[in-house]
Amino acid sequence: MRELTFTEAAREALTEQMEKDPTIFVVGEGIGPRGGNFNTTLGLYEKYGPMRLRDTPIVERGFVGMCCGAAMTGSRPVVDFMFFDFILDSMGELINQIAKIQYMSSGRIKMPLVLRGSIGVGGSAATHHSGSYYPFFVHLPGIRVALPTNAYDAKGLFKTALTGNDPVLFLEHKLLLNKKAPVPEEEYFIPFGQAAIAREGSDATVVALGSMVPKALEAGEALSKEGSAIEVIDPRTLNPLDIDTILESVHKTGRLLIVDETFAPCGVGAEIATQVMHKAFDDLDAPVARLNGLQTPTPYSPPLEAALIPNTQTITQALRDLLAE
Amino acid sequence: MAIEIAMPKLGWTMEEGVLVEWLKKDGDAVNAGEILFTVESDKALQEVESFDSGILRIPPDSPPPGSTVKVGALLAYLVQPGESAPFEKQAAAKAPAPNAAVQTTASATPIARQTSQATVRANEAIPNISPRARRIATELGVNWMQLKGSGRTGRIVERDVRAAARPPTFAPVVIPPPTQITPVAQRAAQELGVDLNALAARFPGKRITREDVEQAAKENFTSHLKAEPREQTTSQRAPMTPTRRVIAQRMSESAHTTAPVTLTTEVDASELVRLREQLKADKVASQQPIPTFTDLLAKLSAHALREHPALNSRIEGDEIVTEPSVHIGIAVDTERGLLVPVLRDAQNKSLRQIAAEAQELVARTREGKASGDELRGSTFTITNLGMYDIDAFTPIINLPECAILGVGRIVPKQVVMDDSERVAVRRMMFLSLTFDHRLVDGAPAARFLQRIKQLVEQPYLWLVD
Repeated sequence: MRELTFTEAAREALTEQMEKDPTIFVVGEGIGPRGGNFNTTLGLYEKYGPMRLRDTPIVERGFVGMCCGAAMTGSRPVVDFMFFDFILDSMGELINQIAKIQYMSSGRIKMPLVLRGSIGVGGSAATHHSGSYYPFFVHLPGIRVALPTNAYDAKGLFKTALTGNDPVLFLEHKLLLNKKAPVPEEEYFIPFGQAAIAREGSDATVVALGSMVPKALEAGEALSKEGSAIEVIDPRTLNPLDIDTILESVHKTGRLLIVDETFAPCGVGAEIATQVMHKAFDDLDAPVARLNGLQTPTPYSPPLEAALIPNTQTITQALRDLLAE
Repeated sequence: MAIEIAMPKLGWTMEEGVLVEWLKKDGDAVNAGEILFTVESDKALQEVESFDSGILRIPPDSPPPGSTVKVGALLAYLVQPGESAPFEKQAAAKAPAPNAAVQTTASATPIARQTSQATVRANEAIPNISPRARRIATELGVNWMQLKGSGRTGRIVERDVRAAARPPTFAPVVIPPPTQITPVAQRAAQELGVDLNALAARFPGKRITREDVEQAAKENFTSHLKAEPREQTTSQRAPMTPTRRVIAQRMSESAHTTAPVTLTTEVDASELVRLREQLKADKVASQQPIPTFTDLLAKLSAHALREHPALNSRIEGDEIVTEPSVHIGIAVDTERGLLVPVLRDAQNKSLRQIAAEAQELVARTREGKASGDELRGSTFTITNLGMYDIDAFTPIINLPECAILGVGRIVPKQVVMDDSERVAVRRMMFLSLTFDHRLVDGAPAARFLQRIKQLVEQPYLWLVD
């Protein structure tokens, strides 16, 4: 099978859907002739022109608000933030309008809006360009949150995002963008709320988010040499969250570690741990463990940045500790 | 929303029960209050009714009738018309939450037991155990109180429980399936000496009729003749029934914890025999049940126990608890094994009342219909082996009671009468009293038995009650 990078696969999803659906247009900074800072729209301007690939000034609140109105009136806008950190400048539109309008109109008004951007710590992007912030957004009702971790999932989830009627945050971790994976030629969709079991095992479960998935897989590989079989679950979407797959895994292993590079307090790991404790208490052979990035702004210094977030060694050690509980 | 139907907890000590039979089928409409299935547990057969209305859906992996099921285990669902059952939607989905709740309650029992044995292990702390290990210990029947944990803080984890679990046995498991037996067939089987369990195993799921029993009786006879020279060479293994397990557990608990002493005395039961004969001969009251010797002894024992309350007491921790009421347990031999239904407040009841109640209680116990409550809470037990020509024996105390009265056969004997030294033929009987020396000493127990003897020989003393 051919292999595509994460970005190529997502771009292919966008191209396929733009071909089928003339109401889809993309808005953002440098997404026109430049093709996007991360090549998210490379080649699309030549194909679909300035009406459907519209460069904007640096004014997130303005273009997110306009796209909100466009979605309400029947278009299907895609906002490309380049760095997802800058969605913070449009929080009022996002939370008060985009997330709520379907509820406030009793479902008469749809909100088929996709908000995409790169997230995560990596490459010395420093404190304004390294945020993930998805714990905020999974807290809110009315917004879907997709967190693909490979090219195959990126395409399938983006296709689903571009065909639904809910606002979707499509988060692309910058360390995963150039990672290749087999992607079939045939069209496919991946439904939201369906976790992937990235590695099967019976001794402990790791729920890994975003860039932590490949690291957890490496930790699982390292521990298999020590005789422990680690199961790695990639939720793929955080809202909706596929808790059932996690519960089934915990039923099998009795031990759970949640690895997430975002801050621990009130994070996704806290939510998963509570649900597991509540719904699978009698399956737990050890307290649920979490491994998170430090709760601090992201430093520029490469060694400091590296020390900030979990890596293969710290995940492996956390799993050893969990197995010894 | 589908409503889960689980194995109910029908008594404090119930940890599992045999799902005997579904009285509704998969797909049947059920009204609240209708009987769903029967459960054998804690020595009683009980009917379980539905709390809700709906369509009964039994998952394909639900425990089959005849199997032993943990309390709280999922048996079926009630769904609304048109609704699909959870096992159809998602075969892999599981419902841990309700199970978790029930299992937590179920596994609270060992802790409660631990507390009641406070005298033995007073300050010993309960070990830490992970929820999963506790669940698996319950499933495997492992007593985790004894285990040493290998977890970081000494916590007992799954691997400790699994290591402690006995290796699985590969003995052939023969569980007779539940079978309906017509009352006529039941009587015929008794008369012809046909083993109904064996017959039921031969015709699983079939209703056994009198013809089947008679046929089996003939075959038995012939096969017996043929089989006689051949001897069985392999030992047979079968799992203990829940009743057998409870009996085994209670008997060994009694044997290990009590300090039993048995006193025997020979009593002159002639007056008791005469009393019974007069009651039998009374045409006016011919509709009333005639008290059995056990009933008579229950009545007079209640009288004696009120005068000797120490024999009506029990040990709880470091305390001695004496009950104001006398609840007499009557040992009954049933198909399933020894059961002890309880005649409550015997001290307040007339002989007629006791006779009527005991007759009904014993009949229901034999049919397996006595409820768990009816088989609990006795303060003194009477066990009568007179019908098997037994004279005296050493009964085992029915914990937590203090004493048990064993009744022997009544036989005519030549006896030297105290007053005149002349010899007369009297109806003599041995009484064996086993008492717990932890609770009472030999002399008070002997005085109690002596009083029983007096009340047997002079029934007017208690008939005025």
